[in-house]
Amino acid sequence: MVGQLMARRGAGVILEMIKDGKIAGRAILLAGQPGTGKTAIAMGMAQNLGIDTPFTSMAGSEIYSLEMSKTEALTQAIRKSIGVRIKEETEIIEGEVVEIQVDRPATGVGVKVGKLTLKTTEMETIYDLGNKMIDCLMKEKVQAGDVITIDKATGKINRLGRSFTRARDYDATGSQTRFVQCPEGELQKRKEVVHTVTLHEIDVINSRTHGFLALFSGDTGEIKSEVRDQINAKVAEWREEGKAEIVPGVLFIDEVHMLDIECFSFLNRALENEMAPVVIMATNRGITRIRGTNYKSPHGIPIDLLDRMIIVPTSPYQEKELKEILKIRCEEEDCEMADDALTVLTRIALETSLRYAIQLITTASLVSRRRKTTEVSIEDVKRVYSLFLDENRSTQFLKEYQDDFMFNEFCK
Amino acid sequence: MTSESWLKIIQNAKITVLIEDGKRKVHFLFENGKEMVEEYNMDTNVVVRRLWKKKNNFGTDIGWIVEIGEPEPKENNIEKDGIQESSNTPFVTQRITKTCLEWRIRNLPYPSNVYSVTAEEDNTITVRTSNKKYFKKLKVLDLERIGLKPEQERISFKHQYNTLIITYKKPLELLNVEKKILSRILQFKPIESTNQCPVS
Repeated sequence: MVGQLMARRGAGVILEMIKDGKIAGRAILLAGQPGTGKTAIAMGMAQNLGIDTPFTSMAGSEIYSLEMSKTEALTQAIRKSIGVRIKEETEIIEGEVVEIQVDRPATGVGVKVGKLTLKTTEMETIYDLGNKMIDCLMKEKVQAGDVITIDKATGKINRLGRSFTRARDYDATGSQTRFVQCPEGELQKRKEVVHTVTLHEIDVINSRTHGFLALFSGDTGEIKSEVRDQINAKVAEWREEGKAEIVPGVLFIDEVHMLDIECFSFLNRALENEMAPVVIMATNRGITRIRGTNYKSPHGIPIDLLDRMIIVPTSPYQEKELKEILKIRCEEEDCEMADDALTVLTRIALETSLRYAIQLITTASLVSRRRKTTEVSIEDVKRVYSLFLDENRSTQFLKEYQDDFMFNEFCK
Repeated sequence: MTSESWLKIIQNAKITVLIEDGKRKVHFLFENGKEMVEEYNMDTNVVVRRLWKKKNNFGTDIGWIVEIGEPEPKENNIEKDGIQESSNTPFVTQRITKTCLEWRIRNLPYPSNVYSVTAEEDNTITVRTSNKKYFKKLKVLDLERIGLKPEQERISFKHQYNTLIITYKKPLELLNVEKKILSRILQFKPIESTNQCPVS
């Protein structure tokens, strides 16, 4: 990331607070002009939190769906951002494969019979295999010398790597081959495993009408509040007994000014809940009308909600930062750019907008490819600058030639 | 845990006694909600079977776990589970006699000079084979409950008919505790035997 030092420092402090679990139930507002990296900061925060913390990203306008009420959509988004860490003990078989033997019937159809011999440094056991397990082992390409774990309850197979003692079996091994020690002790162990699921996932699985398949189709519809209450009670019970932990995650609402007054007052209340996630919002509006009312308010957000929030401002990029961003963008797009062309682009970005300059990179590289050169020169940039209008010039153009466009007589 | 605390738990448990098939069957419902069933031989007053009701983390029953006595025959549901030990893998059963705790490990075909049985630091009796074919850590729950550790001097073992028999001489404390529990059980009047008893 480039520039935006103050905002990033602020985001860093907030990250620390989230990790300490201190600001659950509060909100953060990223406010700044268009193209100043608000969304980028939020994405960066998400990445920094790691995969174990739920992060939901949505645009403000996503809640306006015909199938769901606004509050339902918001509730679902909130519950998607609260994780439940569940501890469970499972029986795991961990060992090195000595031999895997599968007998297929001669006719090609019918039941396969399989045997798997596993060992540790201390013992050896022969297992009988079911049909499904044989298929799984085949799919994972398990062979003698691999160290594997099998979860007895779910039948999930995990290949840990190849045993050190078999390191000389082949002359050449792939670079991603991992060598591990042969496990010690007993083959079957009880292991504590931890999974993180979101409250929303538990909701969907428990709402009778849909079943868990709805999780994949995404068509969850409305979930009854009774179901949610039951699940909240159950989760609270688990938490008391030490079986589960609540992980407040992060809900990111982009373009938050698109929410209307009902959503804001709903959010106000939802934030007071003890299991509320951290809500990060981003907006690029100044003082504007709150949707659904005739009142005007900063960022289009009611004052009472604004009062609960930590506001992180982002400021426009400086020339040096713009150049840096454009350079990174060029590398991303595999486009070689001459130094003077980059300077011109930076100038364009400064005078028009960063997004427009980024558009020009792609188009300029296409133009340069027509000339059969690999490097984008200053001429290419000039050419695309004349070909494509930026927002300012477009406005000016319209102002000049408005009379020639259709329907203009009604405007007057 | 000490022998006193275990006795206290037994004292506070809700006990139901039933005589059936020539066995005194005793059901313990402990204060923490756990359930245990013991079956005593009427003549010798020795436990022949002890089971614990197991629940998983979320409170769903997963059935009775046999601690002492013959394990229940396993269902053959290899297609459902996908994997299970082959029928000739070794398995352990625990028994109790008047003076000893006893483990029998069946299906061990290896010669008798490969076995070694040791009392370990982690409160288990560990069985090893020098040919690296079998290894097992046996938890001694009877001793664990009254806060004792297994001692090497009390262990003896022999191997015959593909079976390894490990005997552990009961320490005095354990004998005392067993005596007290038995006298507590004998205070209860056995209830009428019905066919749908909740016990086993």
